[in-house]
Amino acid sequence: MNDITLKIREIATRLLQNGQVDIFMGWEKGQEEYTTRPFFARRVEDVEKLIFNEYSIHNLSNDLLKYRDGQEKIGIVVKGCDSRGIVRLLQDGQIKRQRLYIVGVACPGMKDPLQAVKDNSGFFPATTSGELARKCNDCIEPNPVIYDELIGDKQTPRVGQERFKLVKDIENMSADQRYEFFEDVFSRCIRCYACRQVCVACNCRTCIFDEMKPQWVGRETSISDNFMYHLVRASHMAGRCIECGECERVCPVNIPLMLINQKLIKDVNKFFGPYEAGMVYIEGAKPPLSSYQENDPDNFL
Amino acid sequence: MPILSKSKIKDVLNQLSQNAELFVPLARGDESGFYSWNSYQEGSDRLMLDALNVLLPPKSIVFPQTERMYSFTGNGTTVEIKETFESPQPRIIFGLRACDAAAIACFDDVFLTMGFVDSFYQARRDNTTIVAHACYQPGANCFCEAMGVDPTEPVNADVIIRDTGDSYIWESKTDKGEKLSAALGALLENKEAKSPQLQPFKQQANYEGVAEKLKGMFEDPMWEELASTCQTCGICTYVCPSCYCFDIQVKSWGDEGYRFRCYDSCMYSEYTLMAGGHNPRSNEQERFRNRFLHKLQFFSERYGKPLCTGCGRCIVACPVGINIVQIINQVKEADTSVRA
Repeated sequence: MNDITLKIREIATRLLQNGQVDIFMGWEKGQEEYTTRPFFARRVEDVEKLIFNEYSIHNLSNDLLKYRDGQEKIGIVVKGCDSRGIVRLLQDGQIKRQRLYIVGVACPGMKDPLQAVKDNSGFFPATTSGELARKCNDCIEPNPVIYDELIGDKQTPRVGQERFKLVKDIENMSADQRYEFFEDVFSRCIRCYACRQVCVACNCRTCIFDEMKPQWVGRETSISDNFMYHLVRASHMAGRCIECGECERVCPVNIPLMLINQKLIKDVNKFFGPYEAGMVYIEGAKPPLSSYQENDPDNFL
Repeated sequence: MPILSKSKIKDVLNQLSQNAELFVPLARGDESGFYSWNSYQEGSDRLMLDALNVLLPPKSIVFPQTERMYSFTGNGTTVEIKETFESPQPRIIFGLRACDAAAIACFDDVFLTMGFVDSFYQARRDNTTIVAHACYQPGANCFCEAMGVDPTEPVNADVIIRDTGDSYIWESKTDKGEKLSAALGALLENKEAKSPQLQPFKQQANYEGVAEKLKGMFEDPMWEELASTCQTCGICTYVCPSCYCFDIQVKSWGDEGYRFRCYDSCMYSEYTLMAGGHNPRSNEQERFRNRFLHKLQFFSERYGKPLCTGCGRCIVACPVGINIVQIINQVKEADTSVRA
């Protein structure tokens, strides 16, 4: 990992020095050994803060949205899943490819700093994590799918034989059991909208949940408003989730958001596939559910 | 002195929940927070009195995330209030830490002083008894002492319990506390016991002079850098024991409906959106700055203390590792004389 850090610094220095980028997005060290966090270098002097280690888990592609209206040229380090996030943004017309210098890192799998902080917080019963982050066990593409420069040796996907095991378990439940399951998980939601904020596919300028006139979704933390929030969020993910798992990772009340996203991935693949979101960028290509044809046999959605 | 043996803790909680709704710190599934003792499930829930604290703060007991205020019926051009939902039934919070007790004291300032009394808050607060749990072992992210909170002497407590290993010293502080002691009767023993010693803090925040210094740092370039990675989600505000911003909204169908209030977050852009469409804090950096200035400067100017009690929950839950202790120290150390 140290080699990767040095290589990233070398590239960042070069890009900032010759004015090829204005901002270089990577990670820096936090207070504890396990608290790596996002860091955006703007000057050559900042570069020495950049690191890449086993806790560089955050999907930085989402942060490009902060600069979508600007002119800055941006260097960004991406792992496999993060690079699919870049494809998402390019397909959604959120940022121009020419503004980006993408440094891809073949990802050996990450640990979750958030989980590590929680484990050491004293706010939960003692747990034994320290292994690979949960989201990395479902990884189908650890290698960047779009990049200008690639670092590290090619990695093999970590997902096991049964990719949609949990989804199938839920599908096999009776309707009542399923309702009970989702009622339980959604009743916990505190509506902090962190799942939306960290999501690269959530790039609408005005989110439906923020609209006041009309107010589509009520703001009570009640089971009906919470259900509505999660149903709407999920349906907006169909064919769009690039499986970075950030929503589930950051949820402070551990709602299994990726379970819902994976059900959509499975169904989109079945009905409109074969298709995996964000695996390849072809300019002008229209992925499933992103175009409409006049002769569509269904007249609504 | 009165002593509560840990072996009798469940009897004590059962006894206290006879005449009031009793809230205790529990780990429930992947969550941890304050839950009603009546909902305790032996086997799957775990009582967290021996833990440092729980992630979801006890603020919802005196200030719920969603609270109905009143229901109404429209009648032509007039509106009739049908029912108000003030909630005066007795409640007990058992085992909250000094940081969370101090946060409730901040709520008291906001909702009960300066000429404003919030009757919904008052109904809950007046009927809440607090059994606070003195802290002697600060955790990895604790910095309450730096924010003016004494972890061993929780404010607002009706009873303070002090962990001596196999039992708690039971120290009643108010009439409400005496009533609880009386209700427990023989469950409390009379023995001698020694309070533990406060251990040193690992987090060192230096808040001295920070509120004053921030007055001159509204336009400081520091905010842009600090806010650059913030996702502007509402986690920090919702897990914070002292964040109290709320919105008042209405649900109606036909001529009927009810008004409720719900937590709001200064991290959301909609929070400051005004009628007419202007938004004075439309970008992330402005919202980020406001949150920290409210905590560290504005509240202090109005009420003489910061709106942060050093519990460390925002440090634990922030998706991108934003750390308020580092921000306090960065403000403290900033050399503002060299800045434009």
